[in-house]
Amino acid sequence: MKTMRFHKLKELLLAFSFCMSFSGNVYALEPGNKAPDFNLPGIQGSVQLSKTIGSVVYVDFWASWCGPCRHSFSWMNAMQEKYRSQNLQIIGVNLDAKNEDAKKFLAEIPAKFTVAFDSKGETAKQYGIKGMPTSFLIGRDGKVIYQHLGFKEADKESLEKQIKSALEAKK
Amino acid sequence: MSTTKSTLLGAAFVTAAMALPSLQFANAETPPEQGIVSFKYLHYQDSQGIVAQPGSTTSAINTISGASSVASPGTSGGATSGSQDRIGVNAYSVNALVPVAGKWSIGTTYTSDSVSGASPTYHSSGLTTMKDLRRAVDVQLTRYFSRGSVSFGTSYSKETDYISRGFNVQGSLSTEDKNTTLTLGGSFNNDSINPVNQPGVDEKKQVAAGLIGVTRVLTPQDIVQLNFGYSKGNGYYSDPYKVNDNRPRDRSAVTALARWNHHFDDNGTDGTVHLAYRYYSDSFGIRASTFETEYVQPLYKGWTVTPLLRLYTQSEADFYVSAGSAETADPTQPTPPPTDAVYYSEDQRLSAYGAITYGVKVSKQINKDWLVDVKYEQYEQRAQWSLYGNGDKGLTPFKAYSIQVGVSRQF
Amino acid sequence: MKKDVIQKSFYAVLLMCMLGLSGCALGTAVQPWEKATLARPEMTFEGDKLDNAYTEHIYSSKEGASGGAGVGGGGCGCN
Repeated sequence: MKTMRFHKLKELLLAFSFCMSFSGNVYALEPGNKAPDFNLPGIQGSVQLSKTIGSVVYVDFWASWCGPCRHSFSWMNAMQEKYRSQNLQIIGVNLDAKNEDAKKFLAEIPAKFTVAFDSKGETAKQYGIKGMPTSFLIGRDGKVIYQHLGFKEADKESLEKQIKSALEAKK
Repeated sequence: MSTTKSTLLGAAFVTAAMALPSLQFANAETPPEQGIVSFKYLHYQDSQGIVAQPGSTTSAINTISGASSVASPGTSGGATSGSQDRIGVNAYSVNALVPVAGKWSIGTTYTSDSVSGASPTYHSSGLTTMKDLRRAVDVQLTRYFSRGSVSFGTSYSKETDYISRGFNVQGSLSTEDKNTTLTLGGSFNNDSINPVNQPGVDEKKQVAAGLIGVTRVLTPQDIVQLNFGYSKGNGYYSDPYKVNDNRPRDRSAVTALARWNHHFDDNGTDGTVHLAYRYYSDSFGIRASTFETEYVQPLYKGWTVTPLLRLYTQSEADFYVSAGSAETADPTQPTPPPTDAVYYSEDQRLSAYGAITYGVKVSKQINKDWLVDVKYEQYEQRAQWSLYGNGDKGLTPFKAYSIQVGVSRQF
Repeated sequence: MKKDVIQKSFYAVLLMCMLGLSGCALGTAVQPWEKATLARPEMTFEGDKLDNAYTEHIYSSKEGASGGAGVGGGGCGCN
């Protein structure tokens, strides 16, 4: 009787872990795929990805309530400054449902890069993001080179390396 | 027995309970971004209704055999109405949580609590004074992964007659969308007990516990959690400072806890309601239900007010001995346990009763880094409020209040 | 008694798995960018650590039942 119970238990745990591994499955954008185009309202007019062809684009999905996002702003500001001349363009796509939350955040921590607003999260869905923040490095050919989830102090170095090599790559 | 010892009687057995670091299933999925240091002060005082004393206007303060001078705890009101102070606690705790290298965190808590007052030696009677100081420390190391975390902890606490050492491990794993989290935990505690009133007694208690839980995001405004716990202990469960107290040397317990947090968004008040229900059942025969709710209401300028309500009821332990008619007539005479009883206890905490807590917490976020808070709670236990069987009519109502003052700073 | 406990834990795990599985059956998963409210501290189950420690240990020293929210908080001599 006891062994049977444990047997059942094992099955249930298996079923559970199976479920755990699948329930979060959403469409994922792979490196080499063409980055889906978007046209979103920005601070100064609309922001359209396809208009940036020829630049290396770093698209960062963020929100005002997300702690690591807050952290990433100074780094993105620095990267935009440093690599502007080499044609790096950083686009921060804000996903706050309430636009005023984003505005409040930007008043406190100004962005020195392009900011676009997607309060419905449609772009985020297209890009299949799984956490906040998520960034995509897009080559001059418009194809995704690299995708990164989260933002930690330790990530800065490898992210900059990726940006550098994308800027140096031939068209 | 010396005066010093007599004042220590029973102290530890009350203090040991106080402020021991308890591990919540708190390990967050992401490492803390900033360090945080918190300080909290607690003042706690409990009291009971006065037991009627025939031929006397004040209630008797008993002492265990041979104890000499004992201080009389404060009383207020008349001999049969009013109340009598029991235990008072003044405690403070300091907690620090430090992120390390973006993937780790180290947390540590130090607690000191000083306890003094009087505690019954049986039912609500035979109050004996006590005094003790307890110090405790715990350390928790956590490693964070993209979809979970693992943490290891250890704790140590010491008072005059009680030393506790504990170890624990817990881990959590989330689905890729982070909407479902499975948590597992285990702990082991090894305690040494050396009652000051029984110098020859050198006892041990060992308790192993496990917990499994699921946390699930239901909507952008709802999150639920279900935890199941099991613990099994072996060793000295009796209370050496009570008369007629002999408990089983094994105790196992199961708990089921369901929690639900709901936020009233936009069109609502911007407040959050917390609901929790816990079922408890153990091998002593105690079954208990606890319902808790609080409502967190943010106000202007960083102020938050949180009223709370808690309802509790338990059944009596199988071996609980109610106050008999002889004791009711003369409370100086403890009721003898049934002659055939192997286990017996006249500890109020093992009787059937119900309890109500209400309180309020007010906090203020002063700026980005500083947070201060104050909490007041009022608690009352009554035998007739029991929903699981009849309470012991020989017990007087038990009341307590507590005040907490806290401050924390981010770095 | 022991049998009873095993049985109870079994049902506990069963119930929990059902909760987990229902999570995978219900299609409307909350998206990462919809978690603004859930990111608020009052929406977590963590609470104020020191407050919880005080409160839990007051209750475990005055009541017959204890535990449920986590493991480890033992060492309680409060019979």
